Amino acid sequence: MFIKDLSCISAQETYHNSVFTDGVKDIEDLKIWAQEPDYKDIIPAGMLRRMSKLVRMSVATAGPFMEEHKNLGGVIFGSSNGSVDRSMRFLRQIIQYEEGTLTPTDFVQSTPNCVAGVLALMGNITGYNTTHVNQGLSFESSILDALLLFEEGKVSQLLLGGGDELSEANYNIESQRDLYKEESIATSTLLRSETKGTLPGEGVAMFVVEAEKTKESLAEIIDVDMIHHASKQEVAEKAVQFLNKNGLKPSDIDAVIMGRNGDVRTDNFYDHLQNELFPEQGIIVYKSLTGDYYSVSAVATWLATKVLSGTQLPSECIWKPLNNQPKTILLYNNCEGKQHGFVLMRGVYSSTSSE
Amino acid sequence: MGKRVFITGIGIISALGDSVQANRENLVRGKTGIKKAKVLQTRYTEIFPFGEVPYSTEELKNQAGIADVKGISRTEALALIAAKQSIADAGLTDGQVASFDMALLSASTVGGMSLTDQLHDDASMIGPPSDYLASYNVGEHASNLIKRFGIKGLSATFNTACSSSANAIMMGAKLIKSGRCTRAIVGGADALAKYTVNGFNSLQILSPEHCKPFDKNRSGLTLGEGAAYLILESEEVVGNKKIYGEVKGYGNANDAFHASSISDDAIGIIASISGALTSADLPPESIDYINAHGTGTMNNDITEQTGMNAIFKKIPQFQSTKTYTGHTLAAAGAIEAVFSLLTMQNNELYTSLNCNDPIEEFNVSPIKSYKKDQKINNVLSNSFGFGGNCSSLIFSKV
Repeated sequence: MFIKDLSCISAQETYHNSVFTDGVKDIEDLKIWAQEPDYKDIIPAGMLRRMSKLVRMSVATAGPFMEEHKNLGGVIFGSSNGSVDRSMRFLRQIIQYEEGTLTPTDFVQSTPNCVAGVLALMGNITGYNTTHVNQGLSFESSILDALLLFEEGKVSQLLLGGGDELSEANYNIESQRDLYKEESIATSTLLRSETKGTLPGEGVAMFVVEAEKTKESLAEIIDVDMIHHASKQEVAEKAVQFLNKNGLKPSDIDAVIMGRNGDVRTDNFYDHLQNELFPEQGIIVYKSLTGDYYSVSAVATWLATKVLSGTQLPSECIWKPLNNQPKTILLYNNCEGKQHGFVLMRGVYSSTSSE
Repeated sequence: MGKRVFITGIGIISALGDSVQANRENLVRGKTGIKKAKVLQTRYTEIFPFGEVPYSTEELKNQAGIADVKGISRTEALALIAAKQSIADAGLTDGQVASFDMALLSASTVGGMSLTDQLHDDASMIGPPSDYLASYNVGEHASNLIKRFGIKGLSATFNTACSSSANAIMMGAKLIKSGRCTRAIVGGADALAKYTVNGFNSLQILSPEHCKPFDKNRSGLTLGEGAAYLILESEEVVGNKKIYGEVKGYGNANDAFHASSISDDAIGIIASISGALTSADLPPESIDYINAHGTGTMNNDITEQTGMNAIFKKIPQFQSTKTYTGHTLAAAGAIEAVFSLLTMQNNELYTSLNCNDPIEEFNVSPIKSYKKDQKINNVLSNSFGFGGNCSSLIFSKV
């Protein structure tokens, strides 16, 4: 499967790609909020007012694709929390009004499949439509779903995305679960903080993917895999098995994009994988730019596509220097040390230029 | 195209009972599980009937073998009971379950938000943190199933509203067909919740009486709860096991019309049923029975009949088992898959309850009485949801 177009809203200025020219913002906050674009020229004001943050970020990233790419055959979206702020608003109304008569707007928007529904509606995309809520593997499951759909041969291109929104309510719940830093630190120091917890983020990354390589293809997603509740050794074994299945060995990988999030309790999975399998490779990181959230692998995929199509990464993304322009990249992310996702990607850059 | 996918195990818990046998017995007798709710805490139990599983969450945890585990949502307890049944029914070994070749695909809409009041307090930092902090997330039930069963393979959890578990079955079948796994446990779970009851009430589509799908005077849907899981196995590994049926075809489409209703011309419904027939490589006339989505809302039933009418020259026998279980949301696709398999296994069809005056436009009635000795080779099961999500599955006798 090939990535043909991409768009990303994150805590950095990724929507207009100026993070690559103007540099990375250092953010010091307990919550890493998305830098949302000026929606004025993207979404009509009347519609914008009614949209949840997740819906408006999704519409802003996917909307332009609907103009530029005809024949989008489906929508697959990964979001573990959906429009969590609307869920909580509806919940508060239930309690506050003691189950009185409520308006349905928040309820309808609260369900995670609202995003894929809105995108289908806006683009009149009547094809395949699913929403994945597999926690830290929401985007990996979405990739798998897209690969299977293309293998059936009925669809040539579709919208694939992943995103979650941050709200006070989910921050309150997850911080009581001890997932986040108690101390206020700058994002630039997150990955070397050596304390427990991470910084929560939010964002959406959206892609147009196609079944066959065309002259517009930017990068290939070769395959995806995952394992749950596994030891460091089992994760490394899974990585090798995954690469073997695709005719590769660890030394064939040029760079690894790792989801290190500065939580000393779970970053050791990344250390282990790096030391055991990828001691020579360049290592790329990104959560020090965006914070962490369930569907954050979508951002990693966005970043991988940028690298594979020749964009120079900001130095903040380099954990260990790259040896050369990478052609084959492995993405590895773990969520709370219990869900482990792998995505294998390859550049199409050199092969297209030789055609 | 691809490897054939067989169903070798089923597990279910619904308002009709906590075993496949109990569910079937009530279907045969035409006895609904819908009544006044006793466990659900909402003031609407006085106004609306529900398809409630008649056990407290503590009793369900006990039955699931996790009586002492803290922080278990009702959704998760229901899921675990049905999933365990399905694994036992298929006779899978621990080694088979823990293989890289075994996948788990689940579905839920409410997940741990069934704990509506606890969630409110935890999200608002009222009082000390509850035991349920990790349980609210809709994917948590699936993550815990994976942990308990020691599953090491691929996974997915769907939330496509009321079509969720139909999509889990579909993706499980596709994973096996593609050779990415050889076995999969697929299904979904949803518990009744104050959250959902108030949500559907705000849309004014809950029925004050038992739901009456396909009746011209229908008055809305009846919410239910439950879980069902199916074990899918590739033809390569199935051996000479008992087989309930084959996942023959599947279709998924979006109606792209409205956030909470289906278009009058049933675009999504027609596309999902046609997609299922095409992928099964079966003509419409080969369908012997339709397990309809049949929620009992004004919008669903007329558009579903419009869709059926557009595809079938003569609409096959059809009915809505939601008249027995209520609408179990994300679990509905899997629960109705189990019922579809039971019709084939026992050559029988169940009564569609509460339809006294069929919708006039189409001059067809859902099944009026229990029927034995039916020849049922291919069943179509429909699931449609908010967000325009439409899914159809075809199960065939092997």
